[in-house]
Amino acid sequence: MNWVDEAFGDPEFGEGRWYLNPKNHSRQMYKVKKPGEKPAAFGSDPEAQSGRKMGEIMQKRFTDPEEFEKLVKEANAMKEKSPFQIGQVIPLEEAKRVAELSYPVASMSCICRIGARGHEERNEHEYSCTGLGVGMLKWERWPERYKGGVNFMSPEETKEWLTKWNKKGMVHIIMTFGGSYVGGICNCDYPDCGMIRNRVDYGITPGCLKSPWVATVDFDDCNGCGVCVQRCQFGAIKFEVTTEKTNVDQFKCFGCGLCETACPTEAIDLLDRESLPALKEVW
Amino acid sequence: MAVPNFAAIDIDRSKCTIPFACKKCLTGCLQSVFSVSAIKVERGRETNPNEPGTYALHAPHRDKCTGCNDCIELCPEDAITVTFA
Ligand code: SF4
Ligand code: SF4
Ligand code: SF4
Ligand code: SF4
Repeated sequence: MNWVDEAFGDPEFGEGRWYLNPKNHSRQMYKVKKPGEKPAAFGSDPEAQSGRKMGEIMQKRFTDPEEFEKLVKEANAMKEKSPFQIGQVIPLEEAKRVAELSYPVASMSCICRIGARGHEERNEHEYSCTGLGVGMLKWERWPERYKGGVNFMSPEETKEWLTKWNKKGMVHIIMTFGGSYVGGICNCDYPDCGMIRNRVDYGITPGCLKSPWVATVDFDDCNGCGVCVQRCQFGAIKFEVTTEKTNVDQFKCFGCGLCETACPTEAIDLLDRESLPALKEVW
Repeated sequence: MAVPNFAAIDIDRSKCTIPFACKKCLTGCLQSVFSVSAIKVERGRETNPNEPGTYALHAPHRDKCTGCNDCIELCPEDAITVTFA
């Protein structure tokens, strides 16, 4: 079991997975102010704090690389007390289960792509990120504050929308916004997604844990078309010239399932990570 | 361990005034070294990207810069300098 499930999962719901625990969907992501209480300072929310902490640590790459490695290791080891946001890669079918569970669900523009590529998503046809839960009602009230606003979706619309981004080749990451509150499903890709980049390039794990699955290939069904190879953002698939089949390095695989959803011959399956002795602790 | 030989990337903000509207280096860098952020925020709102000085360009991933100089060629304002020690 991974540390997020241990800390925030409930064995009675969704096989003990944290993101399928209804409790983690029912909390408010912002505090209701009590009479006489001062409003919270701008930027004092956990997300902003985690961003600042990340910024401080990332700065050390340039001034003190040894210290950088040390701080990353420490932050990773803090697990559920990690100063960073928590996120986990999940395959499409799991993201659809979240769509059934969470309310309300709204799509909105991706903050990572705006920053990394200046890429704007201006309307519901372009939005690639979702927010989950009552916090979305707050954002709806200030469309200009949250660039262009949000677009509420029914569970069925959410599933279609997730499938659309999956087809385009995006990895689904489910994430928290402060504590165990399940705050969003992002459709991500390297290098503009901060969570994936921080993990792949810098070894920062809490924001991009691997999914509870790993890909496997049935060589009898694989026709060597190579479609899956283009889908992997984690460098886990290689086309093997000798066998004329695709080859998955399961140690590198994040279990996003993008290869699986694209394979025309259904040669790829997702295996339970914990069924593989060497991988059950690899998150 | 010595500090590695990362690129030093200087962005002249007197030349690069509307990075969110221009974004040539942002979209053109293979290594995705750059990022853009709003620096003028009024009542929690970002302002007009075509107004000089409302956004600023950064190079947060300069440790991934290879020194290919593509960004320098793409920049219409000659605002970027990339140097290796
Ligand atoms: S997409 Fe499927 S059939 Fe094509 S190479 Fe990959 S595993 Fe084989
Ligand atoms: S091998 Fe498939 S499931 Fe694994 S990370 Fe790559 S695309 Fe995702
Ligand atoms: S290409 Fe030049 S002017 Fe345009 S955003 Fe980049 S640095 Fe600024
Ligand atoms: S020199 Fe090349 S790698 Fe470096 S920032 Fe410019 S475009 Fe990117």
